[in-house]
Amino acid sequence: MVILSNLNLENITSVENAFSTLVMPIQNGLTYLKNKLAGNDDFFTDINNLKTENEELKKQNAELEASLRELEVIKAENTTLKEYMKMTEKYSEYNTVPAYIINKNTSNLSSIIVINAGTRDGIGINMTVISEEGLVGHVISASETTAKVQTIIDPASTTSATISTSREGILLRGMLEENKTLKATYIPAEASLVQGDAVETSGMGGIYEKGIHIGTIKEIVNTKNITNRYAIIETAVDFDKIETVLVVKKDS
Amino acid sequence: MKKIIIYILLILVFLIIYFLQSNFFSWFTIYGIMPNLFVIYVLFIGLFAGQIPGAILGMLFGVLLDIFIGEKIGISGILLGIVGFASSRLDKNFSKDSKLTIMLMCIGATLFYESADYFISVFIYKMDIEIIALIKILLIESIYNSILIIILYPLMQKVGYRIEETFKGSNILTRYF
Repeated sequence: MVILSNLNLENITSVENAFSTLVMPIQNGLTYLKNKLAGNDDFFTDINNLKTENEELKKQNAELEASLRELEVIKAENTTLKEYMKMTEKYSEYNTVPAYIINKNTSNLSSIIVINAGTRDGIGINMTVISEEGLVGHVISASETTAKVQTIIDPASTTSATISTSREGILLRGMLEENKTLKATYIPAEASLVQGDAVETSGMGGIYEKGIHIGTIKEIVNTKNITNRYAIIETAVDFDKIETVLVVKKDS
Repeated sequence: MKKIIIYILLILVFLIIYFLQSNFFSWFTIYGIMPNLFVIYVLFIGLFAGQIPGAILGMLFGVLLDIFIGEKIGISGILLGIVGFASSRLDKNFSKDSKLTIMLMCIGATLFYESADYFISVFIYKMDIEIIALIKILLIESIYNSILIIILYPLMQKVGYRIEETFKGSNILTRYF
């Protein structure tokens, strides 16, 4: 007893350490195994739980995705409606009908679009068609529910226009080469053109309303003879991306 | 009876082609230029069904096209009618089993249709002739069309010979009896 009670603790710890270093790995391994075996029960019961949980989560995920898609649709709708609003506000002095483009032309040589508004909505031939950015074209024929619109970039289309700064009258023609540009001809000899000047409809010719923005002067091409000179006008409307338009109703 | 069914089917296929052309090929373009499936289709009908169905259906499709999306009714009608009629004439002189002749016919038909369409509208609307832009469009379009016809030709041949049987088989019989 005396010896035991007087034994130095440090000596014992060293012995303890030696033993523990021998035993602990085995103990560890056994505990690991035991836990593993005991845990297996949980593992199998858990599988069922996980499966149901997984299904629920998948369901939730699908629902969320569906609502997300719905939201996206609503968002897109919202932007188009906003576009409509902006357009109608911008052209509030005109009596307009909004319409979607439902078909674009099938030929490389012309540029006709079909819109989903027709005589039922009060649309008639030669009415001006505009978009938020500017002039699109005019109606060339209308059925009850659809109308064909000849765009200003169609090579067969001519538009009478004025340069907004100098008020000089010019004539715009669609070009075969590109669907974003117009060729301005019949430029008065004394007219001074400046690159970047805005061009708008003149109201002459009886088709287009006056003062609708068409585009800006991109390039002035001087020829030997000043009466032959022409300018390239870049349209404000991007005809590749355009989706919604407004038809300006004529009172008559 | 069989002929009527084929006529109806051909018209239905035309509508499918119309939707393909106006929706799919309006963004599936080469340098912004789309192919002209109608010319290929009418060429096919003319080659296999003969000159009368080719001309009639070509004209019908052209008029429909003009009604759907054209500026003036009649131009495409007449031109597609001519393509249909002429392709049946070509069938008599050239073999339609060779891919090369088919390609050349397709290029010829496209060049004829598009340039005639352009010059008629130049005449009607007094447009300025943009010859370089036109040549570019004609070149790319006819190449695009001939690529398409090469891809589609095995299918067209399969269907075509059946149509030929019903349309021309009886012709040969009446000729001999």
